[in-house]
Amino acid sequence: MLKFWYKRAKTGLVTETHELTSEQKELKSAIKKRFAGSLTIRMVDSGSCNACEAECNALSNPYYALERLGISFVASPRHADVLLVSGVMTANMYHHVWDAYEQVPSPKWVVTIGDCTKDLGVFEKTFAIKGVDLPVSYHIKGCPPTPQDLIEGLLGFLRS
Amino acid sequence: MRLIVRFAQEHKDTFEIVDVFDEKIERQEVSKEKPLVDSIMTKYPSAIWMERKISDEFGIIFNRAFDTRPTIKHERFPKELFPMRKDFQDKALEYSNFVPYKYEEIDGEGIFVVPVGPIHAGVIEPGHFQFSQAGEEILHLEVRHFYKYRAIEKMVEGKNPRAIKPIVERISGNESIAYQIALFEILAEASRVEIPESKKRHYFALLELERIIHHLTDLGFIPNDAGFASALAFMSKLAEEARRTMHHLTSHRFGFGAINEETTLDFDYLNEFVLSLQKEVEFFEKWIEGIPSVWDRFDTTGRLNPKKATKYGVVGLVARASGIAVDQRATSGWHEQYGYQMQLGKKGEVADRFRLRIQEIYNSITMIEAFAHQDEEQFTFKSFNDGEYMSRVESSIGELFLYLNIQNGVVERMVVRDPSFINWQVFHTTIYKDIIADFPLINKSFDLSYAGSDL
Repeated sequence: MLKFWYKRAKTGLVTETHELTSEQKELKSAIKKRFAGSLTIRMVDSGSCNACEAECNALSNPYYALERLGISFVASPRHADVLLVSGVMTANMYHHVWDAYEQVPSPKWVVTIGDCTKDLGVFEKTFAIKGVDLPVSYHIKGCPPTPQDLIEGLLGFLRS
Repeated sequence: MRLIVRFAQEHKDTFEIVDVFDEKIERQEVSKEKPLVDSIMTKYPSAIWMERKISDEFGIIFNRAFDTRPTIKHERFPKELFPMRKDFQDKALEYSNFVPYKYEEIDGEGIFVVPVGPIHAGVIEPGHFQFSQAGEEILHLEVRHFYKYRAIEKMVEGKNPRAIKPIVERISGNESIAYQIALFEILAEASRVEIPESKKRHYFALLELERIIHHLTDLGFIPNDAGFASALAFMSKLAEEARRTMHHLTSHRFGFGAINEETTLDFDYLNEFVLSLQKEVEFFEKWIEGIPSVWDRFDTTGRLNPKKATKYGVVGLVARASGIAVDQRATSGWHEQYGYQMQLGKKGEVADRFRLRIQEIYNSITMIEAFAHQDEEQFTFKSFNDGEYMSRVESSIGELFLYLNIQNGVVERMVVRDPSFINWQVFHTTIYKDIIADFPLINKSFDLSYAGSDL
């Protein structure tokens, strides 16, 4: 255990730009002003390849440490301000995603991530794909969007 | 004999059922007027989902099948449609009436059901788990999938074999390199070209890096689900560094588009990374071995009985953690010269799968170091000859099987059998009499793909 604490002290803080950049400061203050300091996100996969989910998980790693900006992923849509949607929206997920949307209390916003959600990306329309038809407020592009793209995208959403 | 896949395809006047085993391939013609075939699901339980899926796709009926419930056709999916038949070319689907799915549930006094999903509490893929509980104890679990069913196999039909690569590499984001290699081996065979040894060393170095990223991520998430969050902080840092290395080498964090005729790697960079990684993982191993509360959760939890694993034909790390020697890297024999050594667990518990991930990282590092070299050989694909092609690649999850039938220069039929498709089916056997709070832990220790299994 002692060795762990020694290692921890030696590694120090790896979080990039832990002194916030002007962009991050803007993000933090926008969240403070509009969402009382905490923006909660419920992420829903409507039929992705799992890369978008991996990048959302990466946002919590020590390099990005998203929570310090006041953004957190929550377990229930009922705790969320924003529904973050990835994937092509399959026929088998369609009603479940809409259910999740209905469960988010108003005011609510839908932010889509990844090329799949906009025009299916490299995929093509099949009988099994419905496509995302939620009322989308903002789209973050990329296949998948990198964690940096996601942070910038969330700022873009708050500005819009 | 291990069943790899059972699938169907349509010819002009008949259907064909193909059974691919590790030692042989069996085929049978099936009449279109009376599509009836003998079931093999009693002997090979992994055929349960395969046969149910074939029934959904082609309307073929299996004699003496004990489970004939739909898979890809969920509650509102029109049951009379057979989407993989050639005469079905609709691009849209009209929902039909809601027909409830009959779950496997246990009845009895005080026994209750806990449905979980398809949308889960974390940032993960959708799938449904239905638990029958006696208090905290799990009596039975049914895994139900295909929420993410995109009909990939239908999507690629009629396309040039080369043009399907962007789709194939996005079947499962975590296994992208493995899928690309599987497709590339088929393309090489179809255009009668041998992939030069030096190129293979580049491809398989990337595959080992993909495996390392996958294992590192799990080594963080497994202890996190046992309430030990600092392991996640430590490992997610390393996983991010590995992902950045992938980005440096391939210009993409997941290696999409990385496997092509021009692939060359900056081995100096890669070797420097794995060298530093080795020390970090060694530190992690020593550290976590000394945390008894973690092992209290890992030991005796989620045991996959080797007999069951063999019966189900389980593949990949999950099989090896139960002491079963299945690894495409061993079967092909090619990896041995670069220092491949099979790592095996004993009991098949969460602890074995956790420790095995660490050991496999060490072995991947050894191989990456041996793969390093300067590349000068060139090759290109010309035209693709018609025919049937199969390839198998050991992805970070396990043995990945890809089948491509090329006719008139375009894809007539593609079949994908993701390792997860097999391993999901054995999953419920590991959870009996464990408590429900152990489910996330066991699930993470398997770490299977939903997208790859659903297609």
